[in-house]
Amino acid sequence: MKLNPTTLKRLKQFRSIKRGYYSFVLFMICLLLAALAELWINSRAIVVKYEGHYYFPTYGAVIPGTTFGFDYDYETVYRDLQKRMAEQNEDGFVLMPLVPYNALENDFKEDSYPPAAPSLESKHFLGTDKTGRDVLARVVYGFRIAIIFSLILLFFNYAIGMTVGSMMGFFGGKFDIIMQRLIEIWTNVPFLYVIIILVSIFDATFALLITIMVFFGWTGLTFYMRTTVLQEKVKEYALAARVIGAGTFRTIFHHILPNTISLIVTFIPFSVTGGITSLTSLDYLGFGLPPPTPSWGELMSQGMEQLEVASWIIISVVSGMVAILVMITFIGEGIREAFDPKKYTTYE
Amino acid sequence: MTSYFLRRLLLVIPTFLGITLLVFGITRMTPGGPVEKIISQGQQAMGEGAGGGGSDDRVRGQALSDEQIADLKAQYNFDKPIHIQYGIWLGKLLSGNLGDSYRYQEPVWDLIKDRLTVSTYYGVMTMIITYLVCIPLGVFKALKHKSTFDNMSSVLVFTGFSIPSFVMAIILLFIFAANLEWFPLGGFYGDEYDDMGYWEQILNILYHSVLPLGAYLFGSFAVMTVMMKNSLMDNLASDYVRTAISKGIDFPTAVRKHALRNSLIPIATHFGNNISVFLTGSFLIEKIFDIDGMGLLGYESVLERDYPVVMGILVVSSLLLLIGNILSDVCVAIVDPRIKFD
Repeated sequence: MKLNPTTLKRLKQFRSIKRGYYSFVLFMICLLLAALAELWINSRAIVVKYEGHYYFPTYGAVIPGTTFGFDYDYETVYRDLQKRMAEQNEDGFVLMPLVPYNALENDFKEDSYPPAAPSLESKHFLGTDKTGRDVLARVVYGFRIAIIFSLILLFFNYAIGMTVGSMMGFFGGKFDIIMQRLIEIWTNVPFLYVIIILVSIFDATFALLITIMVFFGWTGLTFYMRTTVLQEKVKEYALAARVIGAGTFRTIFHHILPNTISLIVTFIPFSVTGGITSLTSLDYLGFGLPPPTPSWGELMSQGMEQLEVASWIIISVVSGMVAILVMITFIGEGIREAFDPKKYTTYE
Repeated sequence: MTSYFLRRLLLVIPTFLGITLLVFGITRMTPGGPVEKIISQGQQAMGEGAGGGGSDDRVRGQALSDEQIADLKAQYNFDKPIHIQYGIWLGKLLSGNLGDSYRYQEPVWDLIKDRLTVSTYYGVMTMIITYLVCIPLGVFKALKHKSTFDNMSSVLVFTGFSIPSFVMAIILLFIFAANLEWFPLGGFYGDEYDDMGYWEQILNILYHSVLPLGAYLFGSFAVMTVMMKNSLMDNLASDYVRTAISKGIDFPTAVRKHALRNSLIPIATHFGNNISVFLTGSFLIEKIFDIDGMGLLGYESVLERDYPVVMGILVVSSLLLLIGNILSDVCVAIVDPRIKFD
């Protein structure tokens, strides 16, 4: 990909904004860690050497217990395997991830009830929730789901919003006026009421939530797009494209849109945080993704129920969420500064 | 100009009809309405001990006869087509009647009126404090651009901005109410409120509102502070300030007499948007702190399918929002005579 000099300059500008740049680097590390979560937070072992064979269970199919000499057909419990091999001095080894639990399994102890406090010994580094699930695992996997959700939401919102917005600016006239009214109605419909009513009828799924949120969320960008396209379409390059014979579609998507990207880019980080926040608040209320999906909102509502008994739940999930949101906001602030540089005169 | 605003006001009518019609349609077309509630309650009462039949379990014997159900439907006007139902609702609205709540059997307006006071209190307090903090802070940050103070306050303000207000509410509740026990866990006022004197009552309300206000406020500083700062810096860089300085006026006077006035324009235009703050208090914050405001009323009404209340709140909030939009344009026109609408 070849970047044009302006973009390069802006990227350089962004790098020079320390707060934004370091947040960006940190956030990328978080994304990487979340993408590879199976390798460090998982109930499946990373490597097993058993009777001279190597197994890598992380990403493959389920390996039944019988493979490793257990008498059950369901998935091997690698923690047990590790213990057994150590106790009976069997040949081979089991290499478990740093956190040997996944986000869905309930780790019940015989001598105590969950939630269990954080402990290095049990490897529940942030403790467990009220059904014995590992909090760290749920925070990390919850983050991964939230960010994927947010990005998909962003894609559809922007695709629809940009198309409709630029059409409004480009065509103007009746189409513009009618769409403006419709959008005004649309944005004033209390979206939360609708979501609560719909979710109580249909089962909330990932796809349904995305659909409803896109349905009510695409309008956010239209007015910015409309204004920019209004300004851009009368510039020489757009007129020249028309004169050469470019059609409406080509003029909008090949000529005008690329010139509005610098505006769009500055909105993206704030849309991402918006998406994460909406999902979390819906989950918090119980109208979000169906259980047992790991989610920040669900953890928060658990944590609020057990403020006094199990404060590690609320502390973990809130710190995680705040850290991520602050990072993205700082990135957004940096991008805005880099893409919309204002050189001010100062008096001393 | 006047004709422009008159046209805008007239346009409120179709938009308002559109919003209410849309929500009205959704509430009528989805299952779980009041009639079905009563039917399923009847079933539960009859099938006590029969394993608690689900509300959709129509096969099991019904407690109500078909006639009774038809009566119920007629009572709620559910037997008529949707557009007729909407017409009836609209007719009542025009005569100033929002209907009765299904849950409380009370006029909707009375319910809303009680909660409005609470939400307005929080709305007004948030607004006042935001302006009191943001304008001086923005000015100071603009004058000390790139200083340590500017940087640190930016970090603080943007951190507040990035944390959703309900998460901030949880944080405040956890630290200051649950752990330190400095402030109460929730409520608009305490239990002994009725036995208190006038001043004590005011103090009690203030004491109870510290944490919720904190949650509302933290996120609200960023937008206006940055707006104030950027706008002042734009003006400081403009020609008329340069002229003033070069003519020998000292810098503080140039700021106070020339730049500051013009940079308040965007702040002033923002003012019109505040009207909606008066009542759309975040229901999440109200839920967390157990405050009986408009947000919570709306949320519970949707949960309980108390449609007259849902529609009533929608009427009040959408009217205020639409008028707020126009008001903010009026503010622009008043403050900045260069702007012409047509």
